[in-house]
Amino acid sequence: MNLRLRIEKKFWFNRNIFGLQLYLPNINPVPGQFFQIEVDDGIEPFLHRPISIASYRRQRLLFIIKLRGKGTAILSRKNPGDYLFLRGPMGRGVRPRRGRSLLLAGGIGIAPLYLLAQQCYSAGIKFSIIYGAKSDRELILKKELKKLTHSCFFIVEKGKGIKGTVLSHLKNFPVADYQYIYACGPRPMLIELQKMKLPGQVYAFCEDFLGCGCGLCLGCAIMVKKTYKRLCTDGPVFKLKELNFQNYA
Amino acid sequence: MLKLFGKNFKNRVFIASGVFGFGLKYRRVSNRVGALFTKGITLEPRSGNPPPRIYEASCGLLNAVGLENPGVKKFVKEILPRIKKLDTKIFVNVAGFTVQEFARIVEEIGDNVDGFELNVSCPNVRHGGVQFGRSPRTCARIVSAVRKKTKLPVIVKLTANFCDPLSIARSCIDAGADGISLINTLHGLAFDITKKRPLIVGGLSGPAIKPFALYCVYRLRQLKVPIIGGGGIVSARDAYEFILAGASAITLGSICLRDPYAPLKIIKELKKFDNKL
Repeated sequence: MNLRLRIEKKFWFNRNIFGLQLYLPNINPVPGQFFQIEVDDGIEPFLHRPISIASYRRQRLLFIIKLRGKGTAILSRKNPGDYLFLRGPMGRGVRPRRGRSLLLAGGIGIAPLYLLAQQCYSAGIKFSIIYGAKSDRELILKKELKKLTHSCFFIVEKGKGIKGTVLSHLKNFPVADYQYIYACGPRPMLIELQKMKLPGQVYAFCEDFLGCGCGLCLGCAIMVKKTYKRLCTDGPVFKLKELNFQNYA
Repeated sequence: MLKLFGKNFKNRVFIASGVFGFGLKYRRVSNRVGALFTKGITLEPRSGNPPPRIYEASCGLLNAVGLENPGVKKFVKEILPRIKKLDTKIFVNVAGFTVQEFARIVEEIGDNVDGFELNVSCPNVRHGGVQFGRSPRTCARIVSAVRKKTKLPVIVKLTANFCDPLSIARSCIDAGADGISLINTLHGLAFDITKKRPLIVGGLSGPAIKPFALYCVYRLRQLKVPIIGGGGIVSARDAYEFILAGASAITLGSICLRDPYAPLKIIKELKKFDNKL
């Protein structure tokens, strides 16, 4: 679906992370799904940016974007009233499963998990969140997350809060109580998490540079079991135990 | 309407190999273009290169997909019956790693398609590909080997990497090629400065290479066979420039990654430049 939508609101969560809210009625996004957002209507930057859906409430889409390079910098200069061209929702996400769930977010990995948290809450599924970032300033949506569940753990490497990382916090955490675990964070976090061999079913929300975002170009290969899958259309959510990270060492 | 190789094409806008898979996903687009070049088909199935395979460059992108495809057997059995139903001309992009492989792939596919595009220009495989494409003699051997196996139109997709496409095109035509398509991607590299090693070695495509591609088409205009030109076309104006430079038809590549519906827009707008197109 090619769309042209007006930006309704823009939020700055901190100096590096901003949000864009758009009005798009009647979609039913699955956590993990994303939109391909056109950065510029010219030819530079050439490719669209895949941005996951962070929230969908009252017919409003929210994208939470971290400044990473020139594409996100240009997006950050868009203002309410400007129009965005986008394609989506793309990809196969995962609906919250019935059963006690644990959400593991590393850094901007909170974005798709926020949508998952909202849907868990609406479905009455009990869940906990462990959310880690470099510093307490990097932690966003703290208040909103606390409204969705009492069981929130905010972990920081420096500054206010529990010291450590998501992974170090997991070591003394009753992981065995959770049937389903959803993880989104930097690739090294997913690799380490895979080595921990957690008892529950772990879903990994992956990211990569995408070409087309719709399964045409075969540019976003990711090894699942022993074959290459397309991250954009076969994922971006995969069962963590099936992922093969050998080429990322 | 365009008449090429004794066949009628709906229009001059073709889709380049590799950017539209087998055309089954965005059928509305596939059914409207003049022709569709399939993803490169090899004799054996190939899983392609390890990631990262794609990286954005200024005004374009680098790719190193490495000819991921199901192999000719599976293609003929499972995919071909489905793409035959598309309302467009299908050219199968053939990627052999030896001269004989080209002939065998063409033989296996038979006359179930509208023609073949011989890929002697893939920069992302270790053997064959661009190495073949740089040698006029090897190209001629490939074309004559394929010529013996098929009566369908045979187009050679040339490279412009470190060689003169004109002399190679001449030897392909002498060996029996019906047309020339160019250019494939150009060699390119992106560096990972934190790890101090190359991040991706691949082929550069997109508007970044358009002036060069246009020059290559212009250089080949003296040839007496149809030229299918492409390289960085993103608009109807770009397409028209290629046609003026001597291309009979144009191919859209990277722009389809930006927007799979872009071909429809370009077909429509191209009419504004010249009603006969």
